[in-house]
Amino acid sequence: MKDVLNKTEEIVKKAKALGADEVVANTTFGMYRQVRFSNNQVDITLAWDDYVTDVALAWKKRVVATQIRNFHEVDARIKKLLELAKVSKENPMFGGFAKGRFRYQRSKADEKLRDLENPTDYVFEAISGAEKEAGSQIESGGILFTKFEDVYLVSSEGPVGVDNRSAIELSIRVFSQREASGHGVECSSTLKDFKPARAGMKAGEIARLAKNPKAGDEGVYDVIFDPLIFGSSLAVWASMASAFDVMVQRSIFVNKLGQKVAPKIVTLKDNPAAYSLASRVFDDEGVPARENIFIDKGMLKTYLHNTSTAKIFKTETTGNAGLVFPTPWNVEMNPGDMSKEELFEEVKRGLYLTNTWYTRFQNYAKGDFSTIPRDGIFLVEKGEIKRSLKDIRLSDNALSLLNNIAGISKERQHVHWWGEADPSSLSPYVLIKNVHITKSK
Amino acid sequence: MEEDIVDYALECAKSKGVEYAEVRAQSQLQERLMLRNGILEAYVSAVDSGFCVRILADGGIGFASTNKWAMEEAKKIADLAFRYAKVANRKDKITFAEEKGVETKWIVGQKEKVEDISPEEKISKFVEINKSLSSCGVNVAATMSSCRMDLTSKYFANSEGSRISSFVPRIAAFIFITVAEQGKTEQASEQFGCSGGWEVFREWNIPEEMIHDAKVLRDVIKKGKTVKPGIMDLICGPEVTGIAAHESCGHPMEADRILGREMSQAGRSFIFKGGPFWIGTRIGSDVVTIVDDPAIEHSYGYYAYDDEGVKARRRYLYKNGIINEFLHNRETAAKLGTRSNASSRSVNYDREAIVRMANTFVVPGEMTEEELIEDVKHGVYMKSFTEWNIDDKRFNQRYVGREAYLIENGELKNPVARPVIETTTLKFWTAADAVSKKVEFDAATCGKGDPSQGMPVYTGGPCIRLRGVYIK
Repeated sequence: MKDVLNKTEEIVKKAKALGADEVVANTTFGMYRQVRFSNNQVDITLAWDDYVTDVALAWKKRVVATQIRNFHEVDARIKKLLELAKVSKENPMFGGFAKGRFRYQRSKADEKLRDLENPTDYVFEAISGAEKEAGSQIESGGILFTKFEDVYLVSSEGPVGVDNRSAIELSIRVFSQREASGHGVECSSTLKDFKPARAGMKAGEIARLAKNPKAGDEGVYDVIFDPLIFGSSLAVWASMASAFDVMVQRSIFVNKLGQKVAPKIVTLKDNPAAYSLASRVFDDEGVPARENIFIDKGMLKTYLHNTSTAKIFKTETTGNAGLVFPTPWNVEMNPGDMSKEELFEEVKRGLYLTNTWYTRFQNYAKGDFSTIPRDGIFLVEKGEIKRSLKDIRLSDNALSLLNNIAGISKERQHVHWWGEADPSSLSPYVLIKNVHITKSK
Repeated sequence: MEEDIVDYALECAKSKGVEYAEVRAQSQLQERLMLRNGILEAYVSAVDSGFCVRILADGGIGFASTNKWAMEEAKKIADLAFRYAKVANRKDKITFAEEKGVETKWIVGQKEKVEDISPEEKISKFVEINKSLSSCGVNVAATMSSCRMDLTSKYFANSEGSRISSFVPRIAAFIFITVAEQGKTEQASEQFGCSGGWEVFREWNIPEEMIHDAKVLRDVIKKGKTVKPGIMDLICGPEVTGIAAHESCGHPMEADRILGREMSQAGRSFIFKGGPFWIGTRIGSDVVTIVDDPAIEHSYGYYAYDDEGVKARRRYLYKNGIINEFLHNRETAAKLGTRSNASSRSVNYDREAIVRMANTFVVPGEMTEEELIEDVKHGVYMKSFTEWNIDDKRFNQRYVGREAYLIENGELKNPVARPVIETTTLKFWTAADAVSKKVEFDAATCGKGDPSQGMPVYTGGPCIRLRGVYIK
């Protein structure tokens, strides 16, 4: 461990000796494992080991970066990087990398996830859970993914840190009929808190309820969002809180700092907490990662920053530095005061949506978008699920959805799913009023 | 790349008495430029290099990769891939469709080598785009642009005697703009991509295209009228034709979806055994022929052999409106009793190769674009799109127009603000009654796989005319 930290420090020293003004080097030894399954059988098990040092340096406000995968190549790569910096173009908005020495929390990574002997067992636990809910005739598919990373960061501006990051997640989709499916996820940073059967049972329960769907109708509905689909919305809002997205107008939050963007019951934060898949103790500049409330009781309080964007907005970094621009790690919505059942009771005639995919925007600044619900779409009448639906599209506006949140459950689930609910989040059941639904004609 | 290590890894894998083994090595020189509002945020230059072992044993597949080039590492990942293949313990064993071993080399040439072009010139090209936009007379409020240049060398070896070396340079650019006029905004993005040297970049003329987009957005804000919803004709420009071909023909024809292997993530297909659609079923009108062709030279999705060492060829997916041929790798081909048609692709050495498209487009007809429009009494010409999506069985889709015009009595009228077609695959392709003769391509990054493998592809086609569809 000390050896890798020393080698990372040597990279920084070499770059400085060659004339770099500021340098950050981030070495990651990553071990990633995945089991992919479909039709209730394992299709492939994969392992990929990655050894990489990300180096970002600045010379006279020219920012360049590289990846070094072989320590024997350090001299040549750094020399070339400096040459590149010298012919690159000045970024007048570059505000430097984070300065100072920081104390970091101790990593709570789970060593058991360093190299699991037989991860396929967890897949079959999930499938068994699904069968308990939906019977043995189901078809199920999904992935089990584990990671263990040793991370070593050295910055010429002071930060030096070591982190271990572990995660395990399972995603399972269960079909009870050709057009009746349910999706469940189970996400954790530790093996202890990982319960794959829970994901299987959730997917199985939804798949059972989703049987014999009928095509849904266009209209305006009050909608209960399951934590998984709401995780997709949380991911959209958090990504739009990145100062970079704001500056390029890929955000509904442009010029809205200090303004009301949601009802008072809504508080959103970014928090790469120990429980989460995104658990980390520092960002890519070495700033301690921390909880940042970006929407506080409905008010847009801050954007998510690295050191450079913070200077542009005349504020402090929020510890969200990625290699080039700020990024959310793990989104949390504060719990509400209602139970899931109470939320349903609020709905006289509406929908319960459980998952979605293919979210696409017409205009990020305005917020107009559509997305396609899948895996359990239900008509709710007088608080109860009346029937299963299919073939609808949610066609609305990201700011309107945020503003129309009318109820939040106490219960929350840690969710993450391929492409959509990404980054991960701690997501409740949520009631949103007046949601626009369209369909094919 | 150290081919002796690759060969050693293959020997390690073969020594275990497996049904099949392959080693795929890849080395990639990567350059990335990222600009915000014309300011260079960062210039990234890196080399990524490594190899993977994939083993079929006892009807299960194991895969392991590393970026450590060492003999002991080769043995380690061969052992791991073998162990993982064995733990699958499948009831129905996986097999691969038959292929003969191939020994060959193929490359994509560069007239102007990407590596010989100075970083200053590369940067200046992108700064110029922003300068052009800022002086085009439209208020372009924000821009984001990026460029990626990848010089990719591969070496593929398998237990059937294949030894294939290749080299492909690829260049891609992505531009996103926001136009603000009269207190309103409109946005557009464009992607450019080709395989080849720096000469392809010079052919693109990005500033001119982006200025065109900026003016279109301004006109949509200032002159655009929403369309009165109803049944009318729709002319799709090549960009819209292309995305529809990709989404509602290419994807549902991927055999791994059809067989359920992507059921959890990218989804399944409206085509399935025992269902209403299969090979030989009508899905569109006679004028609809859609192909996927990796062999278009210098295209963004070009390759000569796929990542299982199978020689690339054109695939007729929908032929005269009939479902004709699925996209296969060796695993799906074996399951459906046919041969692979070289659709197995991977973005890097650390990703499993899966069934992918290459360049998917509608085959041209004989009419001109003007002739298509002349015969429309009331309709919309949707030249390009903004928001789009399709459900995971690839049947319910939606395209929202970016540049669109009203057609009245065969003549183009005012811009239409964000017209929407939301319909099914069957209705869309059945409504097509005419196809123009000029094909145009757009570069795109196709999303599939977990972890995601953004794959370079072309989408394209001529203009197509749809009769009597609902537009809102």
